[in-house]
Amino acid sequence: MLPAAGIGLRSPHFAEIARDRPATGFLEIHAENYLGASPARDGLDELRRDYAISVHAVGLSLGSVDGVDERHLDRVAALVEHLQPALVSDHLAWSVAGGRYFNDLLPLPYTQEALEVVVRNVDRVQERLGRQILVENPSCYLAFAHSTLSEPEFLAELARRSGCGLLLDVNNIVVTAHNLGLDPIDWLRGLPAPVIGEYHLAGHTVNDADGEPILIDDHGSRVGEGVWTLFGEVVRRFGAKPALVEWDTDLPAVDVLLAEADRARDCLNAQEGADARAA
Amino acid sequence: MPGLRDLQTAFAAHLGGEDRADLVDAVIGDGIAAASRLRVHRHHVRRSLEGALASTFPTVHALVGEDFFRGMAQAFTLRELPRQPVLAEYGEGFPAHVADYGPAASLPYLADMARLDWALNLAFHAPGAGRLRAEDLAGVAPDRLVGSRLPLAAGATVIQSPYPIDRIWRATRPGALPEPVSLEEGPSALLVLRRADDAGFLALSPAEVSFVLALDGEARVEEAAVAAFSLDQRFDLSATFARLVAAEAFAALQQKSPGW
Repeated sequence: MLPAAGIGLRSPHFAEIARDRPATGFLEIHAENYLGASPARDGLDELRRDYAISVHAVGLSLGSVDGVDERHLDRVAALVEHLQPALVSDHLAWSVAGGRYFNDLLPLPYTQEALEVVVRNVDRVQERLGRQILVENPSCYLAFAHSTLSEPEFLAELARRSGCGLLLDVNNIVVTAHNLGLDPIDWLRGLPAPVIGEYHLAGHTVNDADGEPILIDDHGSRVGEGVWTLFGEVVRRFGAKPALVEWDTDLPAVDVLLAEADRARDCLNAQEGADARAA
Repeated sequence: MPGLRDLQTAFAAHLGGEDRADLVDAVIGDGIAAASRLRVHRHHVRRSLEGALASTFPTVHALVGEDFFRGMAQAFTLRELPRQPVLAEYGEGFPAHVADYGPAASLPYLADMARLDWALNLAFHAPGAGRLRAEDLAGVAPDRLVGSRLPLAAGATVIQSPYPIDRIWRATRPGALPEPVSLEEGPSALLVLRRADDAGFLALSPAEVSFVLALDGEARVEEAAVAAFSLDQRFDLSATFARLVAAEAFAALQQKSPGW
């Protein structure tokens, strides 16, 4: 897929995008919103004639010690088979335990045991889908004392062992680094550029926890300036890749979302220009 | 903290409201206490599931307001979490929960509004294809038609209530003009169904309810019409049938169906 900048497709925007067909690099859908029939699912068949589609899952629960829910995987596989999307992704997190779904991206300890579980689950998903998936770094609000690997080390090893790609969410890096007292530039060190297949950008909010600020990844505002700055650094280090602007709560007008994607595209284009000059 | 299975079990218990000292001990508490960090996740799980229920039950949400809805939804989510990640499929038990929820007892129609919201949600997520359209009947002789069986299309269902739930539903629409609805207006029956771009409903008379339910119970059109007519001699088969076909309320005809 070309290193274009796209937007998340959310149901309140669906009718306007279907009618106006605005120019944008690609549309990313949440898999779980399109597994059942609906007018939106019907409409997506029209949109995919004009747009590249990316399928972003939130419920495969790649970190579940119980393994991947095969019924859910079957449904995601049917959607992927039908849409033939350019990209398929989910998160380095778990959301299912004991057959209950928590609707949150819950944190993993970064241990060898967890790595083996995630590798096994990613292997299963890639085998069932018959293609590579990208795994996204989550927003972290806590770290486990018994972790033995850093998050980027865990991700790099996951990619090496499973053959998956990585989706770098730049907002999540900023949120995690702030909440865990890490240096975001340090976080980037050691990640292998070739396995990175997509970038995500989003807004976050600041909450209070015990009188200390804690950043919450709420996808409810424009991309923050700190995130744009880190995005510039990420693109310089790892190159131009498809980049997506996510916005899920307090949705803005479509134009605002498109303008954010245009800014991301300008960053990618600047890097491609620099790469061409260097060559 | 030992292995991953124990950690995920402890975390799940924490999300359900239990205090788990072993989990708190496993989390680094630099700057912000471990318990506060863990509460971010508990809070998010509850809020996001309450939000999902508010999306699926918009009429109930509009009727009781944000704070009351959150309390009612939280009592439900603590008892019943989703079994899978498609949130549009979560909440089947919510109407029964509303019916049993003590603080809502002064709103006797609320559980019926929840049933209507759930029926609209199911209809919205029913396949749009496989419906009988008026042109499918163009070449069908009337005597053959009255002898046929016409089950409802996928997602179509009848909701009956002792309250005027269609008028209550309309009054809660965004932008609806304020208009008093009296519970004395009496019972209502609605055929909820998928439409091209959304889900909606048709109000049915008691004879029409009898007709539709008989058809969906595999009666032939003729038998269903006789039952409806015996209930109310004003039952107008051709007008009702035309209205139902125009709304694409019936499943498409099966080729060589034994009903034909």
